[in-house]
Amino acid sequence: METLLSVQDLKTYFYTGDGPIKAIDGLSFDLIKGTVFGLVGESGCGKSVTALSIMRILPPAGKTVSGKIIFKGDDLLGKTEVEMRGIRGGEISMIFQEPIASLNPIFTIGYQIEEAILSHLKVSKRESKKRVVELLKAVGMPSPEIRVKDYPHQLSGGMCQRVMIAMAMACEPSLIIADEPTTALDVTIQAQILDLLRKIREESGTSMIMITHDLGIIAEVADSVAVMYTGRIVESTDTKTIFRDPRHPYTIGLLDSLPKGKGEKLVAIPGMVPKPSELPEGCKFSTRCRYVIEECQSSEPPLKEIDTGHWVRCIRAGEIKRL
Amino acid sequence: MINSNLLTVKGLKKYFDTRVGFLKKPAFVHAVDGVDLNVGYKDVLGLVGESGCGKSTLGRSILRLIEPTSGEIIFDGEDMMKVDNRRLRALRRKMQIIFQDPFSSLNPRKRVIDTVGEPFIIHGIAKGKALKEQVVSILEKVGLSSDSLYRYPHEFSGGQRQRIGIARALAVEPVFIVADEPLSALDVSIQAQIINLLQELQTSLGISFLFISHDLKVVRHFSERVTVMYLGIIVEMGRTEEIFTNPQHPYTEALLTAIPMPDPSKKRKKIILAGDVPNPAQIPPGCRFHPRCPKRIEPCDRIRPKTTDLGGGHLVECHLRG
Repeated sequence: METLLSVQDLKTYFYTGDGPIKAIDGLSFDLIKGTVFGLVGESGCGKSVTALSIMRILPPAGKTVSGKIIFKGDDLLGKTEVEMRGIRGGEISMIFQEPIASLNPIFTIGYQIEEAILSHLKVSKRESKKRVVELLKAVGMPSPEIRVKDYPHQLSGGMCQRVMIAMAMACEPSLIIADEPTTALDVTIQAQILDLLRKIREESGTSMIMITHDLGIIAEVADSVAVMYTGRIVESTDTKTIFRDPRHPYTIGLLDSLPKGKGEKLVAIPGMVPKPSELPEGCKFSTRCRYVIEECQSSEPPLKEIDTGHWVRCIRAGEIKRL
Repeated sequence: MINSNLLTVKGLKKYFDTRVGFLKKPAFVHAVDGVDLNVGYKDVLGLVGESGCGKSTLGRSILRLIEPTSGEIIFDGEDMMKVDNRRLRALRRKMQIIFQDPFSSLNPRKRVIDTVGEPFIIHGIAKGKALKEQVVSILEKVGLSSDSLYRYPHEFSGGQRQRIGIARALAVEPVFIVADEPLSALDVSIQAQIINLLQELQTSLGISFLFISHDLKVVRHFSERVTVMYLGIIVEMGRTEEIFTNPQHPYTEALLTAIPMPDPSKKRKKIILAGDVPNPAQIPPGCRFHPRCPKRIEPCDRIRPKTTDLGGGHLVECHLRG
């Protein structure tokens, strides 16, 4: 059990005209080498900002104000920009949600994958061209020798996502961060891409962070999972436990919100995610929680280990159970 | 003949001409290519399929929001294709649509009272003080308070905006609503709220729905019957539980196993389809699904299968069941 990545008390704020917005406020998790760590939550919970913070590609208004991101023993936050450039795409690579928008429309896909190879590895042009074809073949692109000359607009969304994955795999990274990699794709294509990611993991042992809003995807690909709400983790444990014995009212609420078949009324979570500028005192979920008691509103509960490896940010975690 | 259906659609086609330059030969995209379906009173028909299969085009053609190329649409005993514009306008009072994206389907310059009140004015139902009262009562039905009357869409969250969109559709007391992916722009916890709202309205007001969605879990929850579309045609149709537990078309089967299920203890065998979602401008000969079908047999690439009635309203278009 070797820890590949350890995020410790990470805080990323966005500085806007109305003061700082705490997009991530004290986030900690460990990624064990060779496993898939799922980050799940609704829009605005900070899951994508987590990815951008690790890669250090935040937009100008965003700043990581404190915390540590230990990757292979070194703190990424202490690296210079030049060092980071070597790590991005080399050691850690990322797959984005919108495959068509993430590729450059004016270069061929072959050129774009080759660029990733040449900027990190010392190989000849000829070797890199060969490698591009191999990579495209590995991600299931039909007739890769011909397709290298295609531009992104000539490919479908699913094929573009395969190109993105080929690019992410180009330098055999030890970590891939996949940010909603199948959200823009159709169901049958989603199944193809998830299957491809599973194969990559089995064959190369690459560790992954899978960011998604879909609990179904978590159940299928992740080994362990953290549920995020308003910039913090509210529950984290292994995947089996989160579905069998969820303890945080938000996790329970998310699972109950899913339709299970023909049936009765769904148990929806009332209200909506509070705006980052209007977070309540105390537990951030207290405004929507059906188990709320007075104590919840006074101070924010810490993440507490209720069972080995099962962390919950709720003072009533011991007594609450999903029915 | 007495027709017990609210809506009967026969052989509906919608072709889009995609030719560029007027000397070129016409090139047609067969978005909807001969669809038969019916929706009963207080019925919910789910319509599933992948992007580009023509499900939105079908929904809009039925309302004549886009003009169908040919076919028959009998709504409440009247032939929608034959009525004049005046009558069509009157019929529109009974049929409404809820759109997918609550961010772009509301006019950002109109206050809630203007958006939800507009149908009342257009159809000459109410104005002035009566209008305000009516709008308030509809907002209450969809779970919005009366203090939202004079606010603009940007002041609301996605879920609340979708409630405004639903209120607008309900304003004229329709008997039929086409809901075109009403949940796909919303977060999971908000989706559940909107599904509950739609279900409440459906039972309390007895509205019939054509519920278009790519999310099979939601369709299963909400629909009485399900229709599966592929490349402009219906490949399978039947009662919801029947389709979900006993799918007969290989495409339906693949769709069902492709959904990631939020239960890691159940390991299912997935059918992963090869190839891409096809282009409706290049429809394959024979069975339209044959290039991706894992169970393809001899005549599939030449002869289009006939629709087979398996009983109980379960229809399928596949050589294996023919």
